[in-house]
Formats: sequence, C-alpha cells, structure tokens
Amino acid sequence: MEVTWLHLVPLLPLIGAAICGLVGKWLPKGWVYAVALASVLLSFLIGLRAFIGLGEQAPLFHELWFNWFSAGSLRVDMAFSFDRLSGALTLVVTGVGFLIHVYSVGYMEEDPGYWRYFSYLNLFIAAMMTLVLGDNLVAMFVGWEGVGLCSYLLIGFWFTDEEKAYAGRKAFIVNRIGDFGFLIGIFILFNQVGTVGIAQINSAVLPLGVASIAALCLFIGATGKSAQLPLYIWLPDAMAGPTPVSALIHAATMVTAGVYMVARLSHLYVSAPGVMAVVAVVGVLTALWSALIATSQNDIKKVLAYSTVSQLGFMFIGVGVGAFFAGTMHLVTHAFFKACLFLGSGAVIHGLHGEQDIQRMGGLRKYLPSTRTTFLVATIAITGILPISGFFSKDEILGQALHTRAFSFLTLTPDGSTRLTWLGPLIYAVGSFSAFLTSFYMWRCYFLTFSGEYRGPESVHPHESPSVMTLPLWILAALSVIGLVLGLPQAWVHGTGLQHWTWEHFTDGVFSRPRGGAPEEFSPYLGYGIALIVGWAGWACSYALYFKRGLAGDELLTARIHVLRGALANKLYVDELYDFLVVRPFWALARGLFRLVDATLIDGLFVNGIPTLIAWVGAMARRFQNGDVQRYLAVTALGVAALLYVFLVRG
Amino acid sequence: MDFFHAHQAQHYLVLAAMLFALGAAGVVLRRNAIIVLMSIEVMLNAVNLTFLAFSRFPLVPNSPMGSFLSGHAAVFFVIATAAAEASVGLAIIIAVFRSRTSVNVDEFDTLKL
Repeated sequence: MEVTWLHLVPLLPLIGAAICGLVGKWLPKGWVYAVALASVLLSFLIGLRAFIGLGEQAPLFHELWFNWFSAGSLRVDMAFSFDRLSGALTLVVTGVGFLIHVYSVGYMEEDPGYWRYFSYLNLFIAAMMTLVLGDNLVAMFVGWEGVGLCSYLLIGFWFTDEEKAYAGRKAFIVNRIGDFGFLIGIFILFNQVGTVGIAQINSAVLPLGVASIAALCLFIGATGKSAQLPLYIWLPDAMAGPTPVSALIHAATMVTAGVYMVARLSHLYVSAPGVMAVVAVVGVLTALWSALIATSQNDIKKVLAYSTVSQLGFMFIGVGVGAFFAGTMHLVTHAFFKACLFLGSGAVIHGLHGEQDIQRMGGLRKYLPSTRTTFLVATIAITGILPISGFFSKDEILGQALHTRAFSFLTLTPDGSTRLTWLGPLIYAVGSFSAFLTSFYMWRCYFLTFSGEYRGPESVHPHESPSVMTLPLWILAALSVIGLVLGLPQAWVHGTGLQHWTWEHFTDGVFSRPRGGAPEEFSPYLGYGIALIVGWAGWACSYALYFKRGLAGDELLTARIHVLRGALANKLYVDELYDFLVVRPFWALARGLFRLVDATLIDGLFVNGIPTLIAWVGAMARRFQNGDVQRYLAVTALGVAALLYVFLVRG
Repeated sequence: MDFFHAHQAQHYLVLAAMLFALGAAGVVLRRNAIIVLMSIEVMLNAVNLTFLAFSRFPLVPNSPMGSFLSGHAAVFFVIATAAAEASVGLAIIIAVFRSRTSVNVDEFDTLKL
C-alpha cells in the first residue's frame, strides 16, 4: 500500500540531529533533551501506528519519497518499505533507541558536550531507519554508511583522548574494508539484475555463480558492520565510546545490520547455498572465538563486547542455515537483553565513578539493587539457564542448524542427495559449546561484579543511579522476559492467540525458503534439554570458581591452563597478528611510496626538476646575450645569409 | 651574354654586393667605433649603388614606377639620413669617450645588463 508518511520515521530524528547539532550549544539543556527525545519518540509512535496497521489488506507500506538520481538505466529512489521484518526492526531501533536516549539524559548529565552527543545519537537513529526501511540497496547503503559515521563519531566522542580517537578511526577503517565488499556486491547485482531494488533482486533468477559472488561480497560487508571474523577487531575497541552508545550502536542495533541485510536478501542467499555455508561457518567460528576471549577479559565492557560479537555469530548461524526467522528473532531478543546488560554496566561504571575493571568491583548487589536485578534478568536471558527470551531464540538457531537442509547444492546434485549433511550437526555442536562458554563468562562477569565483597578502593562509594537511568533498565529487563513469547515453539501455541506473536508465525512469508527446503518438523524438547544442561554447566563452573572463590577463581584457572589463559587475556594476539600482517606492511608500503613517488618523483623530478631544467636552459641561453653588439650583428648577418641561401639558391 | 662587355645592371650589383660585404665585415670586425661608423657609410653607399643601377637599367621597362629619377630620389634620402646618422653616431661616440676614455666597441657591453 502506498503511503506518504513513512519518510517521517527517519526524517524526524534527522531534524532533531540538525537542531541539536547546529544550535544545541546555545539552547537550554532541557530543550536539547526535549528535541532529541521527542523526535525519537515520535518516530517510534509512527512506527507503532504503522505496525498495528499491517494486516491482510496491507502486508506492507511503501513510500516513494523522491527520485534521488537517475543515470541511464539506473534509477535510485529514496523509497521506503515497511513490512513485518522492517517494521519490527523499526520498533526495536526507535523503541530501544528512545530508552537509551532517556538513559543518556542521566548518564551524560555532567558532560559539557551533551548537545553534540544527542545530535549524533539522533543522527544515528535517522541513519539506522534509512538502513532498515530503505527499499533499495543504495538507500540501504546510505544508512549503512550513515550508521558507520555515527559509530565513528560516538566512539571517538571524547576525542581529546588519543586512544579513544584511535579506536574511532580503527572502527571506521575496518568497516571501510567491509563496505568495499558491500559496494562491489551492489555493482554486481545492478549489472546482473538491472536494478538496485531489493524486491526486484529478491524476485530475480540469478545463475549460481553470479548469486554466489554477489552474496559473498555483500557478506564481506556484513562481516565488517556486524563484527564477524575476520573483521571483528574494531568492536571491542569501540567500547571507548560512552556506554549508552555501546548499548545502542555496538550491541542492539547497528551491529545487527549485517544480519538484517542477509535476511532482507534471503532470496539471493538461498540461491547461493555455498555462501550460506560460509555465512554459517563464519558465524559459528566467530561465536566460539569471541566467547573464548570473553572468558578472560577483565574490563566489564570488553566482556560484553566480545559477548556481542559471539551473539552476532549465533545470528549468522541462524541466517546461514536458512532459518532467517531464527536469526532475526535472536537479533530482536538480543537487542533487549544486551542493551539491558550494557546499560547495567553503564550504571555500574557510573556508580563507581568510571571504574570498568571487574577485579575492583564485587559486592555491588548491596549498593546497586535495581541495576543488579535487571542485570541478573538479562544475564539469565543471554545464558539461557531459564527459558526466557534468549533461551528460545538461541535454541531455535541451534535446533535449526542441527536439522538444516540449506546446504544442498542443487546444481551439482539434482536430488540434493550429497548435501553437506555433517555440517549442520557440527555447527550445532560447536554452537552448543559456545553457549556453554557464554554461560560461563556471563556468570563470571555477574559474580565478580555483584557477588562477594566490594574490592574497590575505599575512597569510592558505589551508589545507585538516578531513576532516569534505572527506569530504562527495568523496561529492558521486562522486555527480555516478555521476549520469550517470540520464541515459543509452534506446537505449544498452535491455535491460541499467542501464535500471532511468535516470530516464526509473524514473519511467515517474509523470507525465502532454503533450496533444500525447511527442516522437517522436529521436536524441540531434546534441544531444550541439552541447552539447559549446557547453560547450567556453564553456570556451575562459574559458580564454583567465581562465586565461591571470587578473584581467586581466575588465579586457579590461570594456574591450570596458563598458556591458553594468557593468550585469551591478550585477545588471542589477533591485533598483533593484524599489526604484523596488514598494518606494518601497509606502513612500509606507504613509506616506500612516500620515498619513491612523493619525495623522489613528485618533489624531486617534477617540483624541483622542472625549475632546474628551466634554469639550466636559461644559463645556456644567457651566453648569447653578452652585450657585444658586433657579435649580435655577426649572428644576424649570418642568419640573413643563411636565409638568402635558402630562398635564392635552394629555392 | 658577355658579362665583361655588356653594360648591364649586374656589374653594378656585384660591385654593390662587394662594397656591402666589405662594410658589413668592417662593422662586425673592427674595434674602433669611428671605423665602425665609416663601415656603415660604406654599406649605405653600396645600397645607393643598387638604387642607381636599377634606376639606369629598370627590370620592367616603361613601368609607371620605372621613372629613372625615382632611384635618384631614394639615394638623396639615404644620403641625408646617413649624414644625420653619422652626426648622431659621432655625438654618441664622443659622449661615450668622455665617460670611458675609449672608442673601443669591445668595451661597450652594457647592453647585456
């Protein structure tokens, strides 16, 4: 159904960003808050109204706002489409975004740059909504780059700190590598399909090779934005930004853009089963890799950052095995509980006056009761020891991976008989181990932060945050619990009113089915049982080590697996490896080019060489002007004689 | 056509060319400024000789321009100009001599500055 109001969803935050950024410095503080919060809230309300309006008559709202540019057969519109997937994401982005705006009012209270901060935050919401709602890849790319820009601006928000500014640059540059792949993917699709519209691409029939290359290029973009192997390294450093930013951009919304993009282009990906396998394998490796690193981090935000990378890996497993609904469902539930965790860590940091090291926390349940309770709920959600939101969404992914039929290469075997049957169970096993690690490190984080006795310096008196900060925590914790409705198995809710709220039923028809077909109906109970055992096992290990012993748990672990823990604490030396493999050669290349091209060729040959040549020619020519008139005359006479010879004798 | 016996323009022209070459050589080679001036006079007179030769033996007989007095008129102009030029030239040489105590053109190289 064509509508005319959809552009307001990204436009309102954009106007808010302009007001806060351009004149916010001179406005009263309350006005900046009002503009920033109201613009996001209005966006949310418009999204909510549209969401309720979605139904049988209007499966999607579409708006052609304006024709951005046309060239030849290329036509790029600023057009938005609001279907069940993008609609739900609109609510998540603007809803969680609004809560984080509210929280930021408390968190950024004492920062003089608050107007700049709210401007960036609003700009982020505008860009993210462009990404989510854009109905063609170019509009999506505008949002994609826009959120990258906001991410850069907000990571380096305290830019006077060189280390934080560096983290911002690192995020931007690593993302650029992925964005390059994304662009190439768009070019290939435009070249082959003749349009950049997502709906058209999703209905085009592409040869396997073309679909694979295009899907792979786009996935490279996703590994950058969604922090997957091998481009995840920017996300842990992105924690240099203010904590609400980490919650909004680097946990709940922006980093899930890659998952969203793959799900949005589900048709393209199912026509490239090889790439699907790549997506799933990259996802599971990332989930394992960063879960391992997370077990040995002592900065509370770094733990959560690696946890985010790991959970994004789970989402990519979901979309990679063809269970697009499972991947996007985890995206939504993760937005709730990870935002809650990050805001909780922000409240802890706020209450401890900037302390981020969990070794100097402990016993905070007495001082920060609201933060502790909400953090506990979100931890239960992510570790899945009780069946609330994270339990169902993560288990749906793993169950779908175990039973997947997505990896059947139909072009090779028409009957699909030689599909990679072992890959799904392998992903399931590694994914379950990652879930165990998730439970372990999240409980470690929880126990070291909130249990035991306070280990920080005497001078710091932990205090609970104001209610403007705890209220969003409670709402997000509630959402983390309520989110379980999304993941209830169809067998439980069949025929009841709840069925319409389950994500699988809700997104029915939005995604393409994998080539091998959806998995056969399988009973979820075995998976649930294993998931509970795995979750509780992680909890038990963590309990025995960290609840009983406190920090001594780490020492005990270090004594047992010294080398591994050392490597993990140093993030498995990936930064050093990249430094050695990429950064240093690049520097060397740049230095070589500087010396050869810049210093020698441009400065030496062109800038200084040409004047030297002209000076030399001048010095030669000077000899003719010796002031001796007789010499001039002699030369003139010789010249005339030569001319006469030419014209009279030869002519 | 007998070169040595027929009275024709080329005799005068060859003589004029010789005089011109001698004058030019003098201008270019001699160092004394007065002799340079005199050599210029020789060159001018070589030109005068060609005027007179063409006046006496016109290339196009009975042309409207071919009145034999036109060459003579040109020669008078040249003589007058040469006289003026000689007086100015000598005045310059005297002025230079006063400042440099020399009439040697080798030393007059201030044009290069």
